Formats: sequence, structure tokens, C-alpha cells
Amino acid sequence: MRLGFFRRNATMLVVLGLIAVLGVIGWTTMGQQPFVRTTLSGLTIGALYFMVASGLTLIFGLMDVLNFAHGTMFMLGAYLGWQFYTNPTFLFGLFPLIFALLAGLVTSPILRSTFMHLNVSEKAQKTIQTAVALAGIALIVLAVRGLDILGLAETAMVATMSMGNPLAEASAQEPLAVFWFRPVLMFLAGLLLAAAAARPGDRTQVVYAGDKRQAWIISGSLAVLTVTATLFRESAPNAVLLWNGNLRFFAALAVGALCGAGLSAAVEVSLIRPLYIRPLYQVIVTLGLAYVLRETIQVLWDPLAYQMTRPPMFSQPGKAENILAWFSGQNLTVDVLGVTFPSYRLFIIVLGVLMVIALSLLMNYSRLGMIIRAGVQDRTMVEALGINVRKVFTIVFMLGAGLAALGGIGAAPFIPVQPNMGDAFQLQAFIVVVIGGMGSYSGAAIGALLLGLARAFGDYLALKFSLSPAIAEASTVIIMAIVLLVRPAGLFGKKE
Amino acid sequence: MDNILEINGIHTYIGQFHILEGVSVIARRNAITVMLGRNGAGKTTTLKSILGLTPPREGTVIYNGKEIQGRRAYDIANLGIGYVPEHRAIFRNLSVMENLKIAERKKGDFESKSEFIFGLFPDLKRLFRLPGNHLSGGQQQMLAVARAMVADNKLLLIDEPSEGLAPILIEQMMEAIRILSTTTTVLLVEQNFVMASKLAEYYYILDDGCTVREGKMADLVEDKELIHQFLGAALQKGGQA
Ligand SMILES: Nc1ncnc2c1ncn2[C@@H]1O[C@H](COP(=O)(O)OP(=O)(O)OP(=O)(O)O)[C@@H](O)[C@H]1O
Ligand SMILES: [Mg+2]
Repeated sequence: MRLGFFRRNATMLVVLGLIAVLGVIGWTTMGQQPFVRTTLSGLTIGALYFMVASGLTLIFGLMDVLNFAHGTMFMLGAYLGWQFYTNPTFLFGLFPLIFALLAGLVTSPILRSTFMHLNVSEKAQKTIQTAVALAGIALIVLAVRGLDILGLAETAMVATMSMGNPLAEASAQEPLAVFWFRPVLMFLAGLLLAAAAARPGDRTQVVYAGDKRQAWIISGSLAVLTVTATLFRESAPNAVLLWNGNLRFFAALAVGALCGAGLSAAVEVSLIRPLYIRPLYQVIVTLGLAYVLRETIQVLWDPLAYQMTRPPMFSQPGKAENILAWFSGQNLTVDVLGVTFPSYRLFIIVLGVLMVIALSLLMNYSRLGMIIRAGVQDRTMVEALGINVRKVFTIVFMLGAGLAALGGIGAAPFIPVQPNMGDAFQLQAFIVVVIGGMGSYSGAAIGALLLGLARAFGDYLALKFSLSPAIAEASTVIIMAIVLLVRPAGLFGKKE
Repeated sequence: MDNILEINGIHTYIGQFHILEGVSVIARRNAITVMLGRNGAGKTTTLKSILGLTPPREGTVIYNGKEIQGRRAYDIANLGIGYVPEHRAIFRNLSVMENLKIAERKKGDFESKSEFIFGLFPDLKRLFRLPGNHLSGGQQQMLAVARAMVADNKLLLIDEPSEGLAPILIEQMMEAIRILSTTTTVLLVEQNFVMASKLAEYYYILDDGCTVREGKMADLVEDKELIHQFLGAALQKGGQA
């Protein structure tokens, strides 16, 4: 049995051993300080790579979808989290509309049985479907007409420009007396759109009692959320800005991740799902989506680069002598083995490691993880066992996007927040996925570690021998080429 | 209702190929029904059509008195239909335990069935923690049948359980299916004619995507000419076993 463990994890052990050997060589030739500094930088980048790549690999492994909008989720996570941290007006202004639309969408299964029993000829069904869909879109247009989204984003810009004081004047929002009709219209639009998707009069769409009860509960809670979000729309931003900065930061991490997850759930259901019979179109849709979202962000926030301020616990002046000292001092930098390193980047490494652990627990010990692993190999059989694989797809899409968005907001305090910030990460994440093997999350972890270290040591060598920094960028591609030569399916690739 | 399942004249397309051109099969409750036919006759496609993996375009599939064609596969399976596919389709990177657990439809399904399952396939108990890809072909076949028994299934669709098994294992598999059939209805696809004739009560012969003959197994065994006409190769194969 013990031997079995070594045999089963041979690849993992060989790669880790290789990294260790290289590490010892590096340590002795480079000297302690540069080595430790470079390693820590590599781990920081590797942690971010992992957060982008793990979702990418699971989405590809399970659903065969190459998601080119994954880097966009990283970027969106950064923007939305940063917004929540510096000036939440923008988000709180939009929440009521989004919740209202969702409430409308999920309420439709309750009414669906009625729609389905209408007596409509098959030809008229299509016409009605189109008409209802158009009406829904018209309602959305009406609902957001005149809403000052741009203004909301602008106040956030002011907030970041006036450095030092993240507490901006919370911008004036529409008074409730004017605003209230917007969520109502959004709710109606949601109802119509969902009805259109179900094609009124089509009796072949069966509706079950179980679904109905669940739909009542969900739509009820969404309705409550909508009302709450509408009522607290004006006071909430100020309240959040008065929170302790650390609390606000961790909340921003959650908000960024949840927004990314929520948005991609919507994307999966509305854009990806109808295209499972046309896989190539799915790839094109994700590409198109990436452009649309990026342009939207540019319009809202201008194509500028912003810097998110670090939360107080990583920004007190001075250097902590060790990690323990940092807990009391909350300093900007920490002394690690003689190297002065930003404490925030250590936090990112910790976050990355936590995510690796969380994901491997999820994949190995939960039913969802078991289903994902099985589905990567044979999703038809999973479906034949009575598991709704489409639902699992949606969950995995959300999970992956949530992780990428978390990476984005995590990176925001030390890389510029700008519309194309996700592109480089997406490219590297694709390489990580190829190295690790499509569909293998542990492959993603090892691949991210490898690439992160390669990047950092490449940069170090380039600087030392005054070579072009392109060397560091090329190093990742070279690693990929080597791995593919030895193992065409990637280090942990199982899919054939 | 004596018939748990009735397939009436289904037509199934894979891509633009018209594979099934009118298959009708009835599975009588608590009996073993076997579908016979040459390679490529459409037996596997019929099972997949029942489950909605390749949904039929025409015809009806009636399960427990309700039309189920056109529903999603997971939905159909959840009505209580278990599936043992051709070539086993064991999850290779999942352990034997996980391969069984994943088939649970409600918590505790496996615990309540484990004794029965290990009674039929004692080997699986020993292999419990091994990953699926460490199992031999025969062990995988047993796991595939066991997996279909975990949930509370009323109907089992079993596709060529004897495929690639040594004679002694075929005996064991037959015994297991016989015991199974006392509590569930079995719709079997089997190329091994000897095995099929010993197990099944009713037979259907498929040829070129159509049902061409049906009746009681006892009558078919007598009818050497019919066997030769539709199952020539299959008979030889069965003769060796
Ligand atoms: N994916 C596919 N694309 C095109 N044709 C297919 C596909 N799957 C099956 N077929 C064709 O459908 C026909 C019926 O196949 P099916 O697998 O149902 O036969 P079978 O009776 O189970 O045969 P066997 O005894 O060899 O398992 C065959 O002619 C086969 O070539
Ligand atoms: Mg077959």
C-alpha cells in the first residue's frame, strides 16, 4: 500500500523533487538573499496563476469549453472588489436592478405551467417567443433609461484619485420616489425573458411539483433581497465606508469573488448552455464576451490604470522583524530570512495556498468534487446515473470564475487595475493548464508553481546578465514545450 | 400494469444517420427480457434511446404508464432506471467506493445496499479502496453492474455483461443477474446466446434498426432456423462459451 502511494503520485514527486534540486542549486549559487526574494516573488505570481488556471482547467476538463473570458473575470473581480473597497456607491446602485431581474427570471417556472398550457399552434409559438423576448428587452431599456451608471463610476474615480482619503463623497443617487419603478420594470422584464426562453404554448416542456416549491423559495428570497437592496441603496455605501478598512477589504474579496461567480453563472446559463451542440461557437462566444466586457469597463471607468490602496493591516510604516511581529505591527514589509518583503504579497501566497487546500478538499472529499472528477472522464455516464450534469457545469463555471475574480481583487493592491490586466494572466493560465494536464486541478497547482518560479527566476537572471526581460516570458513557453515533449497530455493529464 | 417499459416504434438518429427505424420492445415487470441481434443491429442505441442519451425522434417510450421520451437523461434515470453500459464505463480515476457512492440518489443508498452488493460480488469488498483503473476487466464489469444496483432502481438496462469475461466469471455474472431479477426488471442485451437463453424469459431480435422477431425464449431455442437467419455469428460465439 505504501509503495502504491509512491507509484500513484510518481509524477508529483518527481516534479517536486526537481524543483527542490533546482532550489538547492539556486540557493548555493545565488546566495541566500536573492534566492529567497526571487522565490517569494515566484510564489506570489504562482498563487495568482493558480487562481486563474484552476477554474480554467476544470471548465475545460468537464465541459470542453475553452473559456477565453476567464481573464476577464480576473479583471472584473479586481474592478468590482476595488469599487466596493473605495466607493461602493456603484455596486449598491446596481444591486436592486440585478436582484429584481433575477427574481423575475426564477419566478417564471412557477408560472410556466400556465404558459405551457396555452393553446398555441407551433408556428405561432415562435412568433410569440420572439415578441415576448423583445418586450422583455424593451422593459430593461426602459428600466435603466436615465440611470446614471456612468456618474456612479465617476465618483469612484474621484475617490481613488484623491489619494490618502478613500472615503469619497458618496455620490447622490436618485431618490427612492424616482428610483422604485426601475426594479419593478426589471422584475417584469425577467418574467418575460424567462417565459420567452420557455416558448409559451410548447406543451412538451414538463414542469414538476418539486421544482415549483424550490422556485417559490428562491424567488421569494430574491424578492426580499430586491426590496432590501432598494431600501438600503442610499445609506449602505456610507455605512460600508465607515467600516474598519480591514473588514472592508475582506468584504471586498468576497464581493469581487461573488460578483464574478454570479456574472459567469448568468453567462453560462444564457450564452454557453444553448451552444453545447456547437462547441466551436462556445469558444467564439467567450472571446466575444471578453471584448464586450472589456469595452464596457473602459466606458465606465475610462482606459486608465488605477491603484487600489492596501488595507491598513498591510500598510503600517516600518518593517516587522518576523511574521509574528507583523501580527502586532501590521507593517508594510516583513523580514523573511533576511529579505525585506511586502507583507501583502505574503498574504497573497497564503491565500493561494489556502485555495489549493480548499480546492483539493472539495475535489477529494465532497460529492460535488467526486462528480466533477467523474465528469471530466465521462460525463454521459454521470448523467446516466441520474445527475444533472448541466447544473454541475453551471456550478463549476461559477466556481472557476469566482476563483479568478478572487485572484483579481487579490492582485489589485499591487498590480494596476486596468481593462487588460487579465490578459497576461489568462495567457499564462492557459500554459499552466497545458502543463498540468487539462482537467487536473492538482496539475494546475503544480503548473502554477512551476511557471511562477520560472517567471521570477527568469526575471532575476535577465536582470543579472542584463538580458532582455523577454527571457522570463519565454521561459514559461519553453517549460511547456519540454513538458509536452515528455508528456503530450500534460503532467497530470488523464483525458484522452 | 404488467409492462414496466414499452417502446413503440422509435426512430433514432445519430448525427444525420438514421440508426433505429422502428424498434418496439416491451419489458414485462420482474422478468428478464433480452434483445438479440447482429453487431450493429441497434441494440445499444435502443438502450441509449430509452435513457435519453440518444433521444428518439419518433415513437414513444412509456415507463410505468408515462411517456418519457424527450426528457433529459438524468431525469429519466431518476425515475428508477439503472444503466450498465457497453464497455463498462467505470470511472477510472475514482476508487471502487466512489464509483459506487456516486450512483447514490439519496444519502445512505449505498449503506443500505452494500450487504446485498457484496453478497453478489464479494471481490469488490476486497478492492474497495483501489482506483477503478487498477481493476481487471472482469472486476470492472462487476463494478458496473454493482453501480447500477446502488440506487433504488426498478428497471436495469444491461448491455453485454458477458463481454470479455472468462467462462467462470460469466457463470458468476449470470447468477448475479438472476438474483437481481427477483427484485428488479432486467432488460438485457447479450451476444452470448447460451447465456441469454438460460437467463431470459422473453426475447426480441433486432436487425438493421428494426424489431424483426419477438416471443418467448423457450420457443426461440427450438427454432434453429430463425437463430441461424438473424444471429448466425452470435450463435457461434455463444456456442464456444
Ligand atoms: N456515434 C455514431 N455515429 C454514427 N453511427 C453510429 C454511432 N454509434 C452507433 N452508430 C451506428 O449505429 C448502428 C447501431 O449501433 P449499436 O451500437 O446500437 O449496435 P449494437 O447492436 O449495439 O452492436 P454491437 O453488438 O456491436 O454492440 C451501427 O451501424 C453503428 O455503426
Ligand atoms: Mg452494442
